[in-house]
Amino acid sequence: MAAQDTIRFVPERCDGCGDCMKACSKAKGSASRISVVAGVGQGWEMALCRQCGDPKCVANCPAGALDKHGGTGIVGWSAELCVDCHLCTLGCAYGGIAFDPTAGHVQKCDMCDGAPACVLACGKGALQHLSAAARLHETHADKEDMFVPGLSACQGCNSELLIRHTMRRIGRESIVAAPPGCIPGMGTVGYNGQTGSKVPIFHPLLTNTAAMLGGIKRQYERKGQDVTVVALAGDGGAVDVGFQSLSGAAERGERVLFICVDNEGYMNTGMQASGSTTFGSWTSTTPVGEIGRGKSTDGKYLPQLMMGHGCAYVATASTAFLDDYHAKLEKALAASRAGFAYLHVHAPCPTGWRFPAAMTTEVCRRQVESNFVTLWEFTPADGLRFTRGVERPRPVADYVRMIGKYKHLAPADLERIQASVDRRVETLQGFRRRPAAE
Amino acid sequence: MTDAHAKYLIVGASHAGREALAAIRMHDPEGRLVMLSREKHLPYSPTILPYVVSGRSAPDHIALAKAEWFADNRAELVLGARVVEVDPTARAVRLADGGRWTYDRLLLATGAEPAVPRVEGLERGGYHVLRTLDDALAVRTHAASARRAVVLGAGLVGLHAAETLAEAGLDVTVVEMRPHVLAEYFDARAAALIGETFERHGVRMLMGRRLERAAGSEPCRLGLDDGTELEADLLLVVAGVRPATDLLAGSPVATDKGILVDQRMRTNVEGIWAAGDVAQANGFLSGRPIINGTLPEAVEQGRIAGMDMAGDADLVPYGGGIALNTYGFFGRHAVAVGAAATAEGDGAEVHTTEGNGYCRIVLKDDRLIGLAAIDRVVDAGILWRLIQRRTDLTPVRDRFLSHPLETARALMSQGWR
Amino acid sequence: MNQLTPNSSRMIVCDGNEAAARAVVLARPDVVSVFPITPQSSLVESLSQFVADGVLGAELINAEGEHSVLSALQGACLAGARTYTATSGPGLAFMFEPYVRTPGLRLPMVVSLVTRDMLSPQCVWGGQQDAMSVRECGWIQIYCEDVQEVLDTVVMAFKLAEHKDVLLPVNVCHDGNYLSYGVSRVEMPAAGLVDEFLGEAAVNWHIALDPARPMAVDPLTGGTGPGGAASFVGYRKSQIRGMASALDVFSDIHAEWGERFGRHWAPLVEEYRLDDADIAIVTIGSMTGAGKDAVDAARDRGEKVGLIKVKMYRPFPRGAMIAALSKVKAAGIVDRSVSFAWDCGPLHQDVMTALFASPVRIPLVGCIGGLAGADITAEHFARVIAATAQAAGGDIPASPIWLNEHD
Repeated sequence: MAAQDTIRFVPERCDGCGDCMKACSKAKGSASRISVVAGVGQGWEMALCRQCGDPKCVANCPAGALDKHGGTGIVGWSAELCVDCHLCTLGCAYGGIAFDPTAGHVQKCDMCDGAPACVLACGKGALQHLSAAARLHETHADKEDMFVPGLSACQGCNSELLIRHTMRRIGRESIVAAPPGCIPGMGTVGYNGQTGSKVPIFHPLLTNTAAMLGGIKRQYERKGQDVTVVALAGDGGAVDVGFQSLSGAAERGERVLFICVDNEGYMNTGMQASGSTTFGSWTSTTPVGEIGRGKSTDGKYLPQLMMGHGCAYVATASTAFLDDYHAKLEKALAASRAGFAYLHVHAPCPTGWRFPAAMTTEVCRRQVESNFVTLWEFTPADGLRFTRGVERPRPVADYVRMIGKYKHLAPADLERIQASVDRRVETLQGFRRRPAAE
Repeated sequence: MTDAHAKYLIVGASHAGREALAAIRMHDPEGRLVMLSREKHLPYSPTILPYVVSGRSAPDHIALAKAEWFADNRAELVLGARVVEVDPTARAVRLADGGRWTYDRLLLATGAEPAVPRVEGLERGGYHVLRTLDDALAVRTHAASARRAVVLGAGLVGLHAAETLAEAGLDVTVVEMRPHVLAEYFDARAAALIGETFERHGVRMLMGRRLERAAGSEPCRLGLDDGTELEADLLLVVAGVRPATDLLAGSPVATDKGILVDQRMRTNVEGIWAAGDVAQANGFLSGRPIINGTLPEAVEQGRIAGMDMAGDADLVPYGGGIALNTYGFFGRHAVAVGAAATAEGDGAEVHTTEGNGYCRIVLKDDRLIGLAAIDRVVDAGILWRLIQRRTDLTPVRDRFLSHPLETARALMSQGWR
Repeated sequence: MNQLTPNSSRMIVCDGNEAAARAVVLARPDVVSVFPITPQSSLVESLSQFVADGVLGAELINAEGEHSVLSALQGACLAGARTYTATSGPGLAFMFEPYVRTPGLRLPMVVSLVTRDMLSPQCVWGGQQDAMSVRECGWIQIYCEDVQEVLDTVVMAFKLAEHKDVLLPVNVCHDGNYLSYGVSRVEMPAAGLVDEFLGEAAVNWHIALDPARPMAVDPLTGGTGPGGAASFVGYRKSQIRGMASALDVFSDIHAEWGERFGRHWAPLVEEYRLDDADIAIVTIGSMTGAGKDAVDAARDRGEKVGLIKVKMYRPFPRGAMIAALSKVKAAGIVDRSVSFAWDCGPLHQDVMTALFASPVRIPLVGCIGGLAGADITAEHFARVIAATAQAAGGDIPASPIWLNEHD
């Protein structure tokens, strides 16, 4: 799906002045398609087309007069095809498409060709023109891609997406460590004298990535040169054999950015279990057989341990929430000038976990929706802050059911996974900084 | 597996079928998906037909889904495939042309067929119905030469057709046995407002009359129960529809008026679902199985059926049917959501205003159960959800009664955050 | 605190660990990473104090273990830093993974090995088993005889490592206990003269992690893909060439050192009273002092005995060794470690290998002594000399003589 815009309403900033409605009305020469109404009790509320992903107004149209544009995501209306049955208005729960008596037909927001008049008119910041993909595109499209085309990641792997996004943002004044694993395995460091990257990149050992980066950074600091040194590591190189050097570098406050791309195992070499592999998972070293039922212990949850190191910045991220990731990447980069910054990005592996390659982003989303993966950030001063609420999660079974490596699990196993997910959330909640009043 | 085997077989190509197909493909990108349509045309909505009659919609611009859409969704559309028998034991359907398809999962979305009252002298060929594109084209052709038209039935299709024919310059009479128009949606006062509009536009509205006999054609002579005699060059019978369940004769699939389904649109027979106008699911307010043949319901049911057929864990079971419709006539605008015609009493409170357009709000225990509006803008979709969620209006009761549009928007906007 | 002045040398008294640390100060590395281990600890303590006092202006990385110590230095070196660390025994073993990688990356580091016997039996004392265990990893190995040689050699090692024909890491080995803690009078070269001697560090012109010169460092190489085998072989052969070059380069460096600072050390093997000798003893490391005393005592008794001291052990200076051995009729080789495969010492095995490739055929007597901090005294060497003299007469022991077997 391509870049798609939406307009966000920030009720705290709205004072009900109505400038947006006047602007819309003027721009469109008809009744305003955005409606600001007094809230229940206090404040202001807004009705406007959300340009839904799966729009019910379109489904309700008998005449083909409404359609969702695959490129812009805008739900368009055709005066020519519309028969004025107004059935579309029954589909909309947002008040986003309504009959306009002065025009004699329904009206809806068309995003003003990418420059919504209402947003431009709002002086309070209560309306924001938002688009995850569009904004990411706008911010990063002009930036240079730092990797060669044709990296050979498995189909459906989100690591390539992640590293391209990351290095586009970081740019050329950087040095990348890609310890043995899927990321160099897809060709980022290259083969036989040829590189896979436009920035300096190297294979550290699986064990020593953070230490090497620390050494590099110290020398550039000594020379007075600002260089971003970044690890694109897997979980093995962070959670298992890489842990000592990671821990040491974090303790020393080496000014580096360490990104752990966690696919919960040694996927590059044939799907063996790692310390990050979660309970119940089938892997080639925790197989399922007459006796074996997959991994018998829980995975090590590294981000929590990194908080314990008092890193300048620690955060978790999911590629289903790239906006969130980019915000955290910004903070991590800033923090890496003062101390150790650690990002833990979850990377469901279609090949090793056994789910269809097309489902990766859905799997990522479901991980988060079920609290199997939580999104948060931590600084020593502010403690832990969830960047996406953990209240009202889906049952973790909704996630587990999507993944082949769990298919042998019994109901009791699911209960155990649910319990450990719940416990982890509870533990993480304890890292939040409480207001002094409490 | 033979060529004529589908993992998902959908019978019927209108809204319910189309939504089911899309929902299946959201979850299962691979399984073979075949849609059988008895039509020779690409899928279209019955709702569009009055506009085909009027010429507002061109017959070649009404497809709900074109060939590319089926290709994009890796689905096969088989036209001219009328299913005449379902054999759940063999998991097979038989076609009128002798063809046969087997299936893993079957959706019956066959819709409804015109219900023609038994009237002396009313014989096939002597009147029009309006359920298919071919019906619409026939009416359109005939209207060009006819001078006097009689429309039997004052439901939505009947009124649409009457308006169309009147606008085309015909002398139109509407005959309805119930006391007022659109009786399944609107109360008497609202119906009167609508009926008066038709009369102002020269349509003769004969309400509470029953057709007793018919004779001849062009003109067809009609006799009503009160002795009124009418002559019609064009007689259109749109006195209701009945679910298209003929193909289930002798099958174990349970039917009442329509095919009985549960909250996941499953029939009593494993591997068979039904959705849309053919299905009979529980009503939201009554809790009993009802026929709720509206387009938004077909969409909703089709989506649920498709998700369940594909095993989509995101499925939210059907909450129950709610009567709802919107209606544009002679440039005016009417909406009915829920039990908008409910009489005062038995816990129901009715609040009617007519100052700034007609609005009738029905509350029960400070919760909305129905609302009808004419020439007054309300968000039907929001009202539907206020009913479905049984939203407590106590804190905003007075404001809702005086300003239903803004208050409903505020409630929903707040609720979505 | 002794102030180090730019252009005048002066005498101080210190042990071998401090001497190494002072040599590091003179070499002005950019990045030093340390982790303490017996018997190296006082060396890194000295370095840390020098940094704390501002005498050594290097980045000091107090890493959490030797593995990270060497890894951090690899990173720093790839970023252009002159680097140094020191380790010993188990620390070296723990460092092994990045250690074996350093020569292949052609990183010119200097790492002191304060030699220690290897576990087990559990032991914290001197012995060269640690250094000998890594003799085939591609590092240059140099062994020092005394505290002054430690100081001078650590400085020279930077010049050797960074030489464009060499570009290999160097281990300067000094014996745990005897040299690490043994105190003596040493002459500190003038810092300014050392600066002139070493010149600017040039450590990453050939391989770098530098945004100004983006490249992939150590992409996958080899395998059966096109050109893979040839590429890998090419890298290996160039490493061997670097090793081979080290012999001449180190000799030149010693010559220059002698000219500049007036101390002339034998770069590869030292011949002591060998020219008219009938037999020789072959020594490595700090035992050489006692060996020379034993040789002097034998000479006093009229026995024509000489000594061959091995300084550069990797690459093995076989030409110099054959030239020395060709002067005698038998040699007694004293190892301070063992070769488990050959029932002899590693040095003994190397000397045999060198002899086989030459026309020289003389009997060798293998001796093993000084394990786990044991003394090798002049009396022990007298036994070596006696056994070697017997071997010259045809009585060659079938297995090594364990000098401390009854101590």
